[in-house]
Amino acid sequence: MSAATEAAQAPPEMRWRVDPFVLLAAPGLLYLAILFALPLALLLLQSFRDADGHFSIAGYIEFFSDPINLAVTWRTFRVAALSTLLCLVLAYPTAFALARARGFVQSFILVAMILPLSVGVIVKAFSWSIVLRSDGIVNSALVFLGIVDQPIRLLFTETALIVGSANVFLPFMVLPIYAVVRQIDPSLSAAAATLGAGPFFRFFRVIVPLTLPGVIAGVAFVFSLAISMYVIPSLIVGERHATLSMLIARSYLFFRDAQLGSTISAILLLIAIAVVLGSSLLLRRFEGTRV
Amino acid sequence: MLHTTKVPVADMAAGTGDPAYLSVEKVSKAYGATRVVETLDFAVERGELVSLLGPSGCGKTTLLRLISGLIGADAGRIVVGGRDITKLPAHKRNVSVVFQNYALFPHLNVSENVAFGLKARGIAPSEIPSAVENALALVRMSDFAGRPVGALSGGQQQRVAVARALVVEPDLLLLDEPFSALDRKLRETMQVELKSLLKTKGMTAVFVTHDQEEALSVSNRVAVMNGGRIEQYADPVTLYTRPASAFVLDFVGLSTHLAGTVTAAGEGWITVDTSYGELTCPGHFTKGAKVLVGVRPERISVGATPADGMTVLSAPVADVMHLGSKTHVYAVPTGDDRLVAELSASDEIRVAAGTTATFSWPAEATLLYPAEATP
Repeated sequence: MSAATEAAQAPPEMRWRVDPFVLLAAPGLLYLAILFALPLALLLLQSFRDADGHFSIAGYIEFFSDPINLAVTWRTFRVAALSTLLCLVLAYPTAFALARARGFVQSFILVAMILPLSVGVIVKAFSWSIVLRSDGIVNSALVFLGIVDQPIRLLFTETALIVGSANVFLPFMVLPIYAVVRQIDPSLSAAAATLGAGPFFRFFRVIVPLTLPGVIAGVAFVFSLAISMYVIPSLIVGERHATLSMLIARSYLFFRDAQLGSTISAILLLIAIAVVLGSSLLLRRFEGTRV
Repeated sequence: MLHTTKVPVADMAAGTGDPAYLSVEKVSKAYGATRVVETLDFAVERGELVSLLGPSGCGKTTLLRLISGLIGADAGRIVVGGRDITKLPAHKRNVSVVFQNYALFPHLNVSENVAFGLKARGIAPSEIPSAVENALALVRMSDFAGRPVGALSGGQQQRVAVARALVVEPDLLLLDEPFSALDRKLRETMQVELKSLLKTKGMTAVFVTHDQEEALSVSNRVAVMNGGRIEQYADPVTLYTRPASAFVLDFVGLSTHLAGTVTAAGEGWITVDTSYGELTCPGHFTKGAKVLVGVRPERISVGATPADGMTVLSAPVADVMHLGSKTHVYAVPTGDDRLVAELSASDEIRVAAGTTATFSWPAEATLLYPAEATP
């Protein structure tokens, strides 16, 4: 009672006020804290401990001193970046088409986009191998058309991995961009035109800046998914072109080396965070170089 | 570029005898089977402020978009200051538009919004800041130059939109319902402000509105549109006192509206039977013709002893509405017919709702139109 009175007498800025709506996020936050933040923190802690439980950065030194590990890290990053880029290139125009489409066409594109998500990644990856293997449809067609003399390697290549993962992640790029595009007031482009702006000026100075938030969200989604993917590379490229996720699995499952596993996990996480934050900063800066 | 297009215009002597500055010739636009604008002719003199007035769907906004180039005409020609712009895309017409929702760029601040058109036209960067400053000063928004546009009130957004449209020195300014998003009081202030600003700049402007009061108060001339055509194009006084059609009579201003049949026709006069009784007035209709009778409310006296030559009807009073400076007296409506008189505050009010009163007006104030063919 007296505490309440005191609080009421305190200057407004001294009072600790919580918007009641914040409480709506409490269950979700609690869930994340127990099942995501806590285990992750323990994992990171583990990467700084040796077998005896003492602080050590031996795991990191060991990891970076092996050139194969560096090559895998670089490949993981490259595949994720190119896959994200491919998604962006495919998704950007699609998002505009989706926003412009009406009725049946719009529903069709949305369903075509989302339905494949319900087909598990494993099913997808195996079905690709049917199409892409040396006696698969694509190779048969290439040989039949005389484009190549003999079947070319399509599976177990980095290109296949990039194309395949972009296929899986495309909706995560299209949907956030679409959500932003549909919010853009069409009169803005009309206003720009009547002010003397031609199609290119309108696109780059009005439309692109306004879609940036969607692009940032899409890049963050797809890159995070692509850099940590495990199933797709395991099935498409196998051990030939291992990624960090596969190294992590190997460390835990085969080598039983928890420190190495947690070390690689920490590195993977760091790359993902750095790229997501970095790209968002970069895009914001691009937005900052205003007209 | 900007100035070369303006030179021939400036050379033209302002005033009488000029060919029209903006000339819309036999322009048509259809969407599928719907003809939105129908072989329309429309002309505006240099420095004039003209409004396009009409109900929604009458084609006024379509006409505006045709002039601005945001949509293309199916047929006809549009000329501004001697330059045929019919085939030009919007960004090459040098015709600015102030949009209904202002369409300010949300990712740019106030001065960046104003600078947009200058940059789009490739104006030298060194000239832009001073041009933007002048434009903002013109609309009294200099203090807001660095503000994000989302933080502005409706009136402030409109000022920025006007500055952005004028800074590029357009040959013609088009305004699409520019005041409709403002509350009444602010709207009146902005109307006065804009009118004097455009006059100072000598800007030729066309603005679209569905608000007849706004059209009459802001513009030199008003084109009343209906069904893709211009019903009447005249100055506000003519439009009000001599409406060219029954549509204009009803759409512009308040009016008595009586359907009737001509029961007797003489030399320049007729007698019309209406739901409130017979009236006699000057007119040239044959016996049996269906007509529509209109009278502007301020011409009608209520309860006064009618003088000779006055047209008189007797009707039960439904309502007496005091509106401050004026009072409206409504007769009980019969069907679609209505009879309304406007008394000024100095007039003695001799009637009350529920009583029967005489409504009388000078016979020559009677407006007559052939009744529409539709039953």
